[in-house]
Amino acid sequence: MTQAEIKLCSLLLQEHFGEIVEKIGVHLIRTGSQPLRVIAHDTGTSLDQVKKALCVLIQHNLVIYQVHKRGVVEYEAQCSRVLRMLRYPRYIYTTKTLYSDTGELIVEELLLNGKMTMSAVVKKVADRLTETMEDGKTMDYAEVSNTFVRLADTHFVQRCPLVPATENSDPGPPPPAPTLVINEKDMYLVPKLSLIGKGKRRRSSDEDAAGEPKAKRPKHTTDNKEPIPDDGIYWQVNLDRFHQHFRDQAIVSAVANRMDQTSSEIVRTMLRMSEITTPSSAPFTQPLSSNELEFVGKSGDSGGGMYVINLHKALTSLATATLESVVQERFGSRCARIFRLVLQKKHLEQKQVEDFAMIPAKEAKDMLYKMLSENFVSLQEIPKTPDHAPSRTFYLYTVNVLSAARMLLHRCYKSIANLIERRQFETKENKRLLEKSQRVEAIIASMQATGAEEAQLQEIEEMITAPERQQLETLKRNVNKLDASEIQVDETIFLLESYIESTMKKQ
Amino acid sequence: MAGNKGRGRAAYTFNIEAVGFSRGEKLPDVVLKPPPLFPDTDYKPVPLKTGEGEDYMLALKQELRETMKRMPYFIETPEEKQADPKSKKAKDTDKGTSLANTADVLKKIEELEKRGDGEKSDEENEEKEGSKEKSKEGDDDDEDDAAEQEEYDEEEQEEENDYINSYFEDGDDFGAESDDNMDEATY
Repeated sequence: MTQAEIKLCSLLLQEHFGEIVEKIGVHLIRTGSQPLRVIAHDTGTSLDQVKKALCVLIQHNLVIYQVHKRGVVEYEAQCSRVLRMLRYPRYIYTTKTLYSDTGELIVEELLLNGKMTMSAVVKKVADRLTETMEDGKTMDYAEVSNTFVRLADTHFVQRCPLVPATENSDPGPPPPAPTLVINEKDMYLVPKLSLIGKGKRRRSSDEDAAGEPKAKRPKHTTDNKEPIPDDGIYWQVNLDRFHQHFRDQAIVSAVANRMDQTSSEIVRTMLRMSEITTPSSAPFTQPLSSNELEFVGKSGDSGGGMYVINLHKALTSLATATLESVVQERFGSRCARIFRLVLQKKHLEQKQVEDFAMIPAKEAKDMLYKMLSENFVSLQEIPKTPDHAPSRTFYLYTVNVLSAARMLLHRCYKSIANLIERRQFETKENKRLLEKSQRVEAIIASMQATGAEEAQLQEIEEMITAPERQQLETLKRNVNKLDASEIQVDETIFLLESYIESTMKKQ
Repeated sequence: MAGNKGRGRAAYTFNIEAVGFSRGEKLPDVVLKPPPLFPDTDYKPVPLKTGEGEDYMLALKQELRETMKRMPYFIETPEEKQADPKSKKAKDTDKGTSLANTADVLKKIEELEKRGDGEKSDEENEEKEGSKEKSKEGDDDDEDDAAEQEEYDEEEQEEENDYINSYFEDGDDFGAESDDNMDEATY
């Protein structure tokens, strides 16, 4: 794992789970798989806290465990999975567009909690939906269950691996850690539950504060003490399926941009038909039976013509387009022209570049060197003589898309780490002001609830002076901008990662 | 040795034409120091995408961040929990005040909410230690709230009296330290 990735993971873990989990997580990412005692010893944290942190990480699918020989259990962190945390908003928003609010909340709950049983998810989502509905209306469990089943059918959620049921109980002691297995067929099998009920609306806070003493509250929330019918069957979000969806979206929109709407519809239909039959990292879709970019190719003549979408080609095009756009925005359109030229012609000499690009020698030289220093283009040496004498060697400029993509990806990780740090810095700078404004808002809210007059509210609002308000506005605007930038850099990361993965698989 | 044309004169070991400089031309300046940390860019960055989807995702992201901080999975370090020695005192004094006080109502609401969240996640947390820690966290949340309330009470009381604060000089170290180094020396 590169330093940039480790830094980013550290920032993400710290923001979402706190310092202790971050320490353990980063240590595991750095050192690979380690047993429990070694982790505690190396990080200098108590065994107790390491156990808690590992619990949290395993619950969220960020750390896996394995039993090694001699009964030692080792824990391993998954750096790439930690980086997925950047993409949570995109997953949730996509589900919203496909399955509306119910689906959105289901995926949100699953992402926030890592693994959950179906009944727990349904109950929680129903409660949340009931909160937002008008008074008197409640959300039925059946509706939420239906959406859940649909999500499982389209593979957006999947079952977590289970402890295998051993028919012949071992005479010896049980293994130190269970080895979880999941059958391919069972991954999307929804248990037969009859969840009957409606969402509960949480009572408004006034009643809570005035009426119920603290002791009574716990009884209400855990009033059904019956055994949960699907205990042990946990569900998690299937990130690969989401990635497949994003990739399809990117391809369809690329086709729509390059050609017209009809072609993109054709491509979209082809992709949809092969959604479930193709594994997520296949270079080609399953051949279907019914036209021309490099994306779509003919793979046979049976059934009137079998057509296939060349996914690898598509991803390569998208990655290359990203690279071109980065060069254009960083160095200018002339540089971009040179870049596209070298990309197209594969290998070019200095002189040839000047001639083909129709740019004066001095400028062309300058631009090539700038791009060379940033590793967008590289030099290829072709010796004329066996002694590799520099005066008798060809030096050709070339673009190695894979390594340029890797370089850009690394840069993206660094960018996001910088963005997060800056955002944290801004928030910390204005912490006092933020806390003050939060307190004022809380007071206003409570006073409104208990019915205060306008004059009092006005007085409280004036506790925040105008320049402070200005400062708050600026802070809010900056933080929003930084957050939005994070989300958009993550889109680039997705494209580049998909391309790199597809290329590695192909080799 | 043969081949050493022009003693003392600078000669390149390779064909300078190949890299694009013609002979005798002025070469670019030698680089003497590392590039600046924030170099000037000729081109401004492209503006961010805006739209309904992006706005929604932005709101989602900020909400998620806040929600995760309140979940039981967020483990605070022991130093943060013990950071307020005065919180213990505040806890004792707060028990005496009446419920009619607005500040206390707020504190109660927050406690109850946190208690409720703690209870719900009992299903997910299998370890006994985990649940013990959570109840400790619940107490610590109380302490944190109490500390916050105490701060707020002080401020409210400050504003209710007639003293003009600027008449009394606070020490140099009082109040929020500004991190920017503008006022190093004021004479």
